[in-house]
Amino acid sequence: MKLLALALAAVFFVVGLLYGLGTINFLTKSGAEHSHHVSHLVVCWVIALLSLIWYRFQTSAESAR
Amino acid sequence: MTDLQALVLALLQGVSELFPISSLGHTILLPAVLHWTNINRADPSFLAFVVVLHLGTALALIVFYRREWLAIVRALVGSVVRGKLSGDRYEKLGWLLVIGTLPVGVLGVLLEAPVRELFGSPAPAAVFLALNGLVMFAGEALRRRQLADPARADRPIESLSYARSVAVGFAQSLALLPGISRSGASMVAGLLCDLDHEDAAHFSFLLATPVIFAAAILETHYLVEPGSHVVIYQAVAGGIVAAVAAYLSVAFLTRYFRNNDLRPFGWYCLAAGTVCFILSKMGVLS
Repeated sequence: MKLLALALAAVFFVVGLLYGLGTINFLTKSGAEHSHHVSHLVVCWVIALLSLIWYRFQTSAESAR
Repeated sequence: MTDLQALVLALLQGVSELFPISSLGHTILLPAVLHWTNINRADPSFLAFVVVLHLGTALALIVFYRREWLAIVRALVGSVVRGKLSGDRYEKLGWLLVIGTLPVGVLGVLLEAPVRELFGSPAPAAVFLALNGLVMFAGEALRRRQLADPARADRPIESLSYARSVAVGFAQSLALLPGISRSGASMVAGLLCDLDHEDAAHFSFLLATPVIFAAAILETHYLVEPGSHVVIYQAVAGGIVAAVAAYLSVAFLTRYFRNNDLRPFGWYCLAAGTVCFILSKMGVLS
């Protein structure tokens, strides 16, 4: 599960970055018209951050055992 | 947009965002009923005005629940620093809100534009408003059946499981459909998760706060977008009116749901939705 949390964090970080750079335009308000999809970037990075918090909860639970 | 229109829309936003009657549905239907053809909902100036109204509404909610939000944020930060959950009431509530906000965050960003394009006109909004009323009646009927079951008792918010919080979050996402109320849908889901009316409303308002606030923040670019000539005094006055209306609404509703249920709002939505649908089919709505 630790690995899954890290993998999710990495994937969402990269996907967010690609939305921010305008490389991907999947399900965006304006499609390719606007190059930066800030709201998609923010949501992806929030999920990446939550995945890292999940990772932290798992590692500290492991070290407490 | 005239000053009177701005005032009415601000008042409508502040009240209907928290009453379970759909603010989005009302901001589509009311201008259509009153033939406010000078208002273009896609115009950058109008969108900028709406951003300020949402900011006012979110601030009212934050101010109303300020002590609770402070305790929640403190508990959340504490649990992340420690790397474990302590069992604190506000910590559990905070994580329930974080988890419950995820569905509407993801679905809102991905589906808001296509859904509004498909359903952002008076006839579908009227149908969904009537449906919103039926959902509230169904929720109340199921709730009464639950109360008759001695094995099921009302529980406090903190006893909700994370899975149920996600379910309430998904219910809140239905508000992407114009006419479906955010607070109505999440309250019905809360009731079906064994919360009483007061707690369901409380959880619904807390859950709505980050969503409304984030949506407004993410759309602040409309304030400076080329073509946006938002009238500053209208926006400021509108934001204040929306904030005051939202504050009074949440104060009223938290008292109301101590002893009352969703059915009066269900009747209103059913009647208003049906009348607006008939008017739209008669070609009366602009």
